[in-house]
Amino acid sequence: MNTPAVVRTPGQRLRSDLWRHRHFYLFISPFFILFALFGLYPLLFSLYLSFVKWDGMTAMHWVGLANFRSMLDDEILRRALVNTLLIGLLYVPPMMIMAFLFAQLLNLQWLKMRALYRAAFFLPCVTPMAVIAVVFGLIFSAEKGVLNYALLQLNHLLPFLHLQPIPWLTSENWSKVAVAILVVWRWTGYNMVLMLAGLQGIPADYYEAAMVDGANTLQRMRHITLPLMRPTFRFCGVLSLLGTIYMFDEIFVLTSGGPGTSSTNLGLYLFNISFNDFRFGYASCVGYTVATVVFIGTLIVSRRSRQETGVA
Amino acid sequence: MNNLQRNGLVGGMIACCGVAVALWLWHTAPKREGASSLTTSVTPSAHPEGKVTVWSWNIAAKSLKHLAPVFERTQPAVKVDVDMTGARMQTRLMLSLAAGVGAPDVSQFELTDAPRYIATGRLTDLTSVAAKYKTMFPASLWDNCTWHGRVYAIPWDMGPCGVFYKRDLFQRYGIDPAKIETWDDYIAAGKTIFQRSGGRTKMLPLGSNSLRPMFEMLIQQNGGQVFDDQGRIAIDSPQAREALSVLQKMRAAGICSDTALWSQEFLAGLNDESIATYPIAVWFAGTIKDTVKDFAGKKADWGVFRLPALTPGGLHVANLGGSVLVIPAQCRNKAAAWAFVEYALCTKEGQLTQYKSMSLFPAFLPALQTPTMDETDPFFGGQQVSRLFATDVTKISRMNRTPAWGEAIRYLDQELSQWAAGGMQSDGFFENLALKMHKRLDLPIAPQSPAASLGRQP
Amino acid sequence: MQTQRNLPLQRTIGRALLTIALTLLALLFIFPFYWLLLSAFKTQAQIFTMPPQWLPHPATVRNFVDLYRETNLPRALLNSIINSGGHVLLALFLCSLAGYAFAKYPQAPGHGKLFAFVLGTMMIPGAVTLIPTFLVMVKLHWINTYWAMIIPGAAGAFGIFWMRQYIAANVPDDLIHAARIDGCSEFGIYYRIVLPIAKPALAALGIMQLISSWNNLMWAFIVLRTADMLTLPVVIYLLQGEMRTPYGMLMAGGLLTTLPLVLAFLLFQKQFISGITAGAIKQ
Repeated sequence: MNTPAVVRTPGQRLRSDLWRHRHFYLFISPFFILFALFGLYPLLFSLYLSFVKWDGMTAMHWVGLANFRSMLDDEILRRALVNTLLIGLLYVPPMMIMAFLFAQLLNLQWLKMRALYRAAFFLPCVTPMAVIAVVFGLIFSAEKGVLNYALLQLNHLLPFLHLQPIPWLTSENWSKVAVAILVVWRWTGYNMVLMLAGLQGIPADYYEAAMVDGANTLQRMRHITLPLMRPTFRFCGVLSLLGTIYMFDEIFVLTSGGPGTSSTNLGLYLFNISFNDFRFGYASCVGYTVATVVFIGTLIVSRRSRQETGVA
Repeated sequence: MNNLQRNGLVGGMIACCGVAVALWLWHTAPKREGASSLTTSVTPSAHPEGKVTVWSWNIAAKSLKHLAPVFERTQPAVKVDVDMTGARMQTRLMLSLAAGVGAPDVSQFELTDAPRYIATGRLTDLTSVAAKYKTMFPASLWDNCTWHGRVYAIPWDMGPCGVFYKRDLFQRYGIDPAKIETWDDYIAAGKTIFQRSGGRTKMLPLGSNSLRPMFEMLIQQNGGQVFDDQGRIAIDSPQAREALSVLQKMRAAGICSDTALWSQEFLAGLNDESIATYPIAVWFAGTIKDTVKDFAGKKADWGVFRLPALTPGGLHVANLGGSVLVIPAQCRNKAAAWAFVEYALCTKEGQLTQYKSMSLFPAFLPALQTPTMDETDPFFGGQQVSRLFATDVTKISRMNRTPAWGEAIRYLDQELSQWAAGGMQSDGFFENLALKMHKRLDLPIAPQSPAASLGRQP
Repeated sequence: MQTQRNLPLQRTIGRALLTIALTLLALLFIFPFYWLLLSAFKTQAQIFTMPPQWLPHPATVRNFVDLYRETNLPRALLNSIINSGGHVLLALFLCSLAGYAFAKYPQAPGHGKLFAFVLGTMMIPGAVTLIPTFLVMVKLHWINTYWAMIIPGAAGAFGIFWMRQYIAANVPDDLIHAARIDGCSEFGIYYRIVLPIAKPALAALGIMQLISSWNNLMWAFIVLRTADMLTLPVVIYLLQGEMRTPYGMLMAGGLLTTLPLVLAFLLFQKQFISGITAGAIKQ
């Protein structure tokens, strides 16, 4: 009766299974070690920090829900939220429209040197913001900037417009526009590439069939392209949402959140309360709250999209 | 298999959590050997050597750059490297203090920010080396360099306040600055100027967004405080009410131009007839000279008189601004760093060199007693301007500045501008402000304040 | 009949107009690079001349000389190369190793859940973990060291996902079985068989990692504390003093920071873009 080799308890089976696949665990272990150190532990510790008052140097004080309470009447946080929303509204629509347009154009078979155009539109996304935001700072300069120079030259062409130099970086209203222009410039190419991939994923015979049915360009756009591009649009939308909320480099270098707090978005505000004010507890609390809200938001979007595709 | 998979997952999760918990324990462990070994004091050396890096900004940095070679002649073995720090200096400095690495050997702070940095516990204790200079700086400045009885910063320059005025306008409208003893006199003079100029000339710039500096001057004159000695919120006080009533009188008299500090109109007022006086600190003299130089046409004829008091015989002094130097605890060459700080701030030679090169007004009292401070200034019609500002600086009242000062002042600023914009309703102003600070700063309200007995207000 | 004869002409005109419009837009997008290049060879005064100089005359190389003299540029370049190079190599190794494991050991207990867990970590925004990660760096004494720039994020979930997809689709199981029968070790299989086949995916991942780590500003600003450890973007950022910013020097430094990336991108454009779109399709 040498059955033990044949009939093994589940525990034994698991142990031998684990041993047989030890290389699997070994090979994936670096991820889990690094994640524990720089992902999970920070995530848990940040949650704990949300309930304390601490500057990272002196003694920590447990304050319970006080951080959450002070968030409710934090005027700068409110302003940062509004700024985030405004900057998003300023740049997302033009960026998406341009990206879609460019993607359409670059998808035209007759167009020559498509790779070159694609490179030109895409190049902004690979450049260091620390550098390019300074270049934009020069371009946006009110008195000596090339953009205002161009605006004034337009006056010769279209005198009825009466264009004045715009204080791009020194006015509380225009600073957001300046940031939006920079962001459009930087991220249009990225979205264009995503949309191009989406367009290329639409089977050509759909269009052929539509042509046979006599559908014109507009109808093909409405009934084939737009519906089939919806997942791509949604993905671009989620990326833009995250990008707007956590945007940092662009604003940090171009306006530093100013003038005043007029271009401070959530990303920069979080940085400021973390490493300028060293309010580690409060910053963690704000960070966690924002992340949770965003997480739930994206979850709802993706669930809805799953439902839609399920119905369709 | 599903079951087994779950076991595997659970195992992985447990391993992860184990690492995380271990880290947590290690992190929150009470013993912080790093911190305790860092906070050390200076052992001065007669012959320090090595390199000292200094972080500073603006005019102060230029002044130290100018001073460095002079100092190096007295201490040839020390090399001073002044870094005109680039963007975001304060953020970088705090990061370096928090990380325990990367801070300069010597750094500049604003006097009002000093308590916040000192409270981090990451600065060198200068108590023993600073002891002999105790009487040589105004006590009000030492107050902000001290934490729990220990000294962590040395005062550098200060900003005694006075009133810059345009002689030609005063003469034209028949005002004698020598007769302005109190703020009431000042307001009366302002009304006269306003009337006689046909409304063209206002007495002072006091924009609704820039009330706080004037408020600070006033509570320094009547001994008011934002925080009491225990760091409790003491803004709700008779002194603060008095200061606010002066602001109200000024604005109600129609003699204030509603311009923000440093705005274009504010600076333009230096050279046209829209504004007759600027009650502000001594360092504003440099701004006036610099700005006026750039204007075309006739320049105003400038003079200075002492700050009006709140009551006859009251204090004519207040302080706005000023800086300190500190040595971060992580500095490895504290002897050399101290040698430079001591030379720059605690010698007549060091302070006067900076006064002459960049007009930094010395906080070092022996420097104020030298004939250099008696010199007349042709720009101000040959007045002994420095002597005027140096008068009674030891009487400047102490302001309790805690680490929360910066934030508290921000709320004060906001509330004052809302007060001005909303028709100057002074009733309950300080109760509300004290409550707001109490909520935001998580500090108690001083028991003597009416706001402490909240809810029993009539 | 009439319309049909006109169509080719209309179409040609339409296409020409579209091409011109597209070219103008492309030039507009390229303009900031042109401005960067131009300003690097201008003096401070030339940069702020009105009307702007479209070509610097006379062109100056003073900015580069000043940059060399007044900042520790060679050191910053070296730091950038070490940080980015180290990060890219480590990321390629760890991601491909884990990607291989997830692609070719589907029988391992917990495989599916673990992979889902890896993907799930992509949802964690960096903004939440920033402060504790900084504190971990302090504890590890990694502040102001290369480790702080190289190690965190070296085994990113996206990299693992990307490598897994590629290896699962392109490395035949038979090849692995054959190697195993020949006595090749598991690591040997990864190193000798999987890696060579996965080269295109490695190139794409490498270029993506290179661009993000080379451009990294926030984390570098936080963890790199002394002048001798700073990377190029931080050096450039700090040149913007509160008083007078030396724009000529800044542009010269900016050009040197941007150029390697632009070249790398142009060389590996195809791989890079395929990497980005893979991320989208997964969603």
